[in-house]
Amino acid sequence: MIRGVAVGVILAVAVALVLASAVGLLAMRDTYQRIHYLTPLALVAPLLLGLAVLVQSGSSVSSSLTWLALLFVVITGPILSHGTIRAIRIRETGDWRLDKADDTDKAGPPKDLP
Amino acid sequence: MNAFVVAAIAMLVALVPCGILLLRGTIMDAVVAYEAISAIAVMVLILLAEGFRRPGEFELPVLLAVLMFGSGLVFVRMLERWL
Repeated sequence: MIRGVAVGVILAVAVALVLASAVGLLAMRDTYQRIHYLTPLALVAPLLLGLAVLVQSGSSVSSSLTWLALLFVVITGPILSHGTIRAIRIRETGDWRLDKADDTDKAGPPKDLP
Repeated sequence: MNAFVVAAIAMLVALVPCGILLLRGTIMDAVVAYEAISAIAVMVLILLAEGFRRPGEFELPVLLAVLMFGSGLVFVRMLERWL
């Protein structure tokens, strides 16, 4: 009984977090702001979900595979977010470094263009 | 229908805003939406496997999580300069 209630509460929080993050993704103005909403979706909600499965199933094959998948999502999510921000910066300014991007802006187009 | 199946259905609703962003946003917005959809899909597969008590289906989200990282990196790398 208590286990069922605990699982329900944890899952409700995880679902609310995912729904709020999805709405936030749509509501924000630009991509830099939208990426902030990936963090609760790909970092906090998977941990809550893993906790719910652990409470429900205990130490079992199911919970082990759940944690394997969710830890992969949790670890790789920030790496993907960083890569996405880097890609946006390169698309906008030509380089991800601040000084190089400024040099590119000041120098104008490359000299070897016809 | 237990709590895990209900949570899976509720999480599928979160795909709607992501889908709208995927269709109507810029190409980098679409990448962000794709990453969100991938993470949600992993969680939905786990919820369904637990909800229907099928331990064999827990391998699907593990595979999807690995492929999600690889494909996300490929998208991001290509969108830096070439697309």
